[in-house]
Amino acid sequence: MATPLLQVEDVTTGFGSSQVLHGVTFTVAEGEIAGVFGLNGAGKSVTMKTIAGLVPTWSGRISFAGEDITTMDAEDRVVLGMSHVPQGRQVFPALTVDENLRLGAYTSRRRDRAGYAARLDRVLTQFPILADRRTQLAGTMSGGQQASLAVGRALINEPRLVLIDEPSAGLSPTVVSELLEILGQVAASGVTMVLVEQNISFGLKLAHVAHLMQSGQVVHSGPVAELDQQRLAEHLGVGRMLGASTGSALASRRRPARGSNGAAPR
Amino acid sequence: MGQVLVIGLVEGTLFGLLAVGITLIYRGTGSINFALGEIGTFGLYVAWWLTIDRGLPWIVGAAGAVAVSVALSLAFERLVVRPMKVRSPLAISVATVGLLTALLSFEFQKFGESPREVPVPIHGLGVRIAGVNVSPTQLLSLGVVAAIALGLGQFLRRTDFGLGVLAAAQDPDATRLVGVPLRRVTAFVWGAGGAVAALAALFVAPTVGVLTPGFASTHLFVVALIAAVVGGLSSLQGAFVGGLALGVLKSGVLRVFSESALPGKEYLVYLAIGVAVLLLRPDGILGAPRLRGAT
Amino acid sequence: MTPTVPMTPTVWLRYLGVLLVAVSAPVLLGEMGVLNDTRALVLGEAVALAIAALSLNVLMGYAGQISLGHFALLGIGAFVSSKVTAPSAGNPVALPFVVGLVAATGAGGVVAFLIGLPALRLRGLYLAVVTIVFNFVMVQSLFQSSWLSSGSGGVELPRPLIGSFDFVRNADYLAVLLAVLVLVWLIDANLSASKLGRAFHAIRSDETMAASFGVDVTRYKLMAFTISGALAGLAGALYGHLFTFVNSGTFDLTQSLFLLTLVVIGGLGSRAGVVAAALLYGVLDFVLGEVFGADVAGWVVFGSALLLMFTIAQHATGLAGAIRDARERRNERSVHVAAITPQMVDLPRPTGLPARVSASSTDGPLLAVRGVTVDFGGLRAVDDVSIDVPTGRIVGLIGPNGAGKTTLFNAISGALRPDAGHIELLGRDLSGTPAHVRAAAGIGRTFQMIGLATDLSVTENMLLAQHQVATYGPLESLAGLGRAPRIEAEMRQRANDAIEALGFARYADTPVKNLSHGQQRIVEIGCALVTAPELVMLDEPSAGMAPGAVENLAVRLRDIRDELDRTVLLIEHNIPLVLDVCDEIYVLANGALIAHGLPDDVVARPEVIEAYLGAAI
Repeated sequence: MATPLLQVEDVTTGFGSSQVLHGVTFTVAEGEIAGVFGLNGAGKSVTMKTIAGLVPTWSGRISFAGEDITTMDAEDRVVLGMSHVPQGRQVFPALTVDENLRLGAYTSRRRDRAGYAARLDRVLTQFPILADRRTQLAGTMSGGQQASLAVGRALINEPRLVLIDEPSAGLSPTVVSELLEILGQVAASGVTMVLVEQNISFGLKLAHVAHLMQSGQVVHSGPVAELDQQRLAEHLGVGRMLGASTGSALASRRRPARGSNGAAPR
Repeated sequence: MGQVLVIGLVEGTLFGLLAVGITLIYRGTGSINFALGEIGTFGLYVAWWLTIDRGLPWIVGAAGAVAVSVALSLAFERLVVRPMKVRSPLAISVATVGLLTALLSFEFQKFGESPREVPVPIHGLGVRIAGVNVSPTQLLSLGVVAAIALGLGQFLRRTDFGLGVLAAAQDPDATRLVGVPLRRVTAFVWGAGGAVAALAALFVAPTVGVLTPGFASTHLFVVALIAAVVGGLSSLQGAFVGGLALGVLKSGVLRVFSESALPGKEYLVYLAIGVAVLLLRPDGILGAPRLRGAT
Repeated sequence: MTPTVPMTPTVWLRYLGVLLVAVSAPVLLGEMGVLNDTRALVLGEAVALAIAALSLNVLMGYAGQISLGHFALLGIGAFVSSKVTAPSAGNPVALPFVVGLVAATGAGGVVAFLIGLPALRLRGLYLAVVTIVFNFVMVQSLFQSSWLSSGSGGVELPRPLIGSFDFVRNADYLAVLLAVLVLVWLIDANLSASKLGRAFHAIRSDETMAASFGVDVTRYKLMAFTISGALAGLAGALYGHLFTFVNSGTFDLTQSLFLLTLVVIGGLGSRAGVVAAALLYGVLDFVLGEVFGADVAGWVVFGSALLLMFTIAQHATGLAGAIRDARERRNERSVHVAAITPQMVDLPRPTGLPARVSASSTDGPLLAVRGVTVDFGGLRAVDDVSIDVPTGRIVGLIGPNGAGKTTLFNAISGALRPDAGHIELLGRDLSGTPAHVRAAAGIGRTFQMIGLATDLSVTENMLLAQHQVATYGPLESLAGLGRAPRIEAEMRQRANDAIEALGFARYADTPVKNLSHGQQRIVEIGCALVTAPELVMLDEPSAGMAPGAVENLAVRLRDIRDELDRTVLLIEHNIPLVLDVCDEIYVLANGALIAHGLPDDVVARPEVIEAYLGAAI
């Protein structure tokens, strides 16, 4: 078996005295679209920031394309072929579309300035909406257009791996479906992606492999095709929600004692 | 009227230039470099030493001043700011107060309070514009500042690294994630601040005439700081325009109240303008309204 | 922060003793000839500098705001005192020294208030900007004007004359200076032990957190600068009467910068540290000057400036911090070790908490949220949300990440202003009121991430949480008299009860930052309760808690409802906990309300499951 493109091995990290990741392990093969799913506080975004190099690892190892990048600067990881679609305000609002794309190609333009025109052309062909708005300030565009720009900016470097952090967060449903289409296109082109999502249905439509996180650990990894709602709920810690018996003992033990309380409606 | 305008604009461009330096550092680090004026003074002492004391040409003194001011800024960033355990804007700003105090006391110790002659780039009569005599130094100053302002604008928009500087001010993490080396952006911002401080000090010196410790802090930095506030500490154009406006206002006030015996009237105007902007337009005259809920 | 000691008769006596020594020692030493005029002048300047340092410390060390023009305020004090006490053409009646001091103190306070007004409404470095310009204005202009001074020539300030006793000898005047230093120290000690000191400290830590504890941030920042300015005016007058002459140059910017340097080196927030730094400098400057000449002594300022940069870079707490750290390493090792152990105490049964802020006898819901909408830029974070929280219930607010739950909390508690909608508590419309008004009206809350003043001890956090019920005024705070001691004692009692009940007695004086994450969450809930609010809003109380502690939390949440008759609004991601304790729940997704009802019913609805897991898997 070939070496995976990205290998995350037993990574721990946190902020100050509070530990957030308690040993995260998963691998991503070349050409694969990996989804990292979990509820709020499961540690998805921190996992992503650790891979990106924005949050230092406490212990464990991250390797990318066979190279140990555990302590490498975020900037240098980009040079190795990582690209990002960051969470939140995804583009530089006070810069134009062209300028955003140029910044996306910051590392590749240094290596190969002549090839930039061709790369830009490819992105503009893939996202025609950007071609019409090259001099517009990114901050004045609609949510869907900004999402296109963020994805285009990540692709212009022709990366080996695209990290996408909660792309659907804070977007309206129409924009989310636009985004799904964009990412579907990208996925079809064979780029390796790691997608962190809280909107699990959204993520499952794209991912080949799901890594489910709970309390700072990956508790299940497997092909998306093998997941059903029951198993998903179980691994995400919301079993009770579906009437499954995975809920804690505390609920069933405490409730009768409170039955006499008039304040409670039940 | 013409005289007020010409004198005001000549000085105003220098206020504006330093205000751009203050704003650049504020946008890059969230902090105010209170030592920026004095970094310029320090460069000016170097220029004095090279030209007046050693007899070298003005251009050598100017180059030495810029080089030393840039080096001083970079050294501060490298030795004080970067190793900080808690790198908050407040901590950085207080540290710049330390640098300001260190430079001032060094100048007092080394050069004393006695005023020094300042180097003048070109001697001569100059030309008359709108009935006002403009000295060659002032013309050169206008030319150099215009070149720098345009050049900086072009650099920030046209080069990839310049775009990285603008982007880092908007979102440092996202800027790192496209591969822009943030450390070099930060170093650039401090270094550029040092360079404009030296240049502004060099060109304002002949107008003031003598060099004493605290020179550029007193004659340039206070005004530039208010100009930067007029620009909302966020807009480079706003800061420059603010500098021009304050320059004209200063020469106007000195002209209109030339009879008054009160010394330092212009400082009262600076304070009044600063307070008015904080009360009425805290985001600056060109600044965008603050994002709501951003608290 | 300096430990806060309430004023007891013993403490008063101790101050009286110190005062007697401070006054008699220089006089006696002067008589004996040990303290000649030169030495007394050096010490006098150091003491005046120490008072100025204490004044800047109130602003910078306590409230975390920077003044770069403090010597301009000293100048105001000196020039005003000269106007009052020195006979001149415009002032035929020279008033006594004490009147001069009072006038100087008042003038310093008033001027500081006026400068602070435009700058302190805004967050950030604006006070530093305004004060540095102010210093230039005063030195370059007004201190040279004919109506404050006699041009750049300066003014005279006579030494005090009490009865027939003239303080012309420096040693005698030193006694006056020392007496004022003791007095200012006392005021400062009272201040830091009062609600003022705690509010300042909270503002310095985090303005949002301070506001959540009910502190009116702008008002208290302004108060800190006004007090600081008044003390600066006093210091300036004393300084002027020491040298008997001042001019504009006396109050140059370099002096202000050096004062700031001393305060940082001495240790921000430490009385003893900044006074020690000022005295040490005065003596060092003199000794070096005597031994090596004035030229060498001049380098002390340069060295201090380097030390300032080093102190800031190391995030150190100056002289005071160095001493304290050494002492802590010796004494408090046991506490630190205990803190590292992730031990989770039981949440106590809350008892002995004070009476509620308001009576709950209306027919409507306790809290009514009507059509609240919050936009961030182009993003609608909360979209036309209306919820009712009935009295005596635990109401859950759940939803996936980014649903807008915390934003809605912020809109309810007043941490942000919604773009549309109303917030009513017991029928009273609180829309548009600031956070502290809502806290006083009976809304208590915890914050995700930013709950506590982590530098302060558990006790001090509990006291800070009672800011709203501390009804004594600022002057009573400073004097340590009037209602202040009684109310403080009551608050301390309540804090101690709560700490005792929480099982935290061992950690009462431990800075919160030394507690484990889970322990900090418990202290937060304790803080939300000790203010006795009608409505307790908890933002993910179970986050970071061990499973056993979560079970315990469920029991305590019900206690809050049943034993204390309080109403709880709860954001939680721990679904089992929500299902267990909540009487009803609301579900938010993408900023909009998608479901409301009994917990078991609501979570079984397809749209809720879809919000969490996505549809049609």
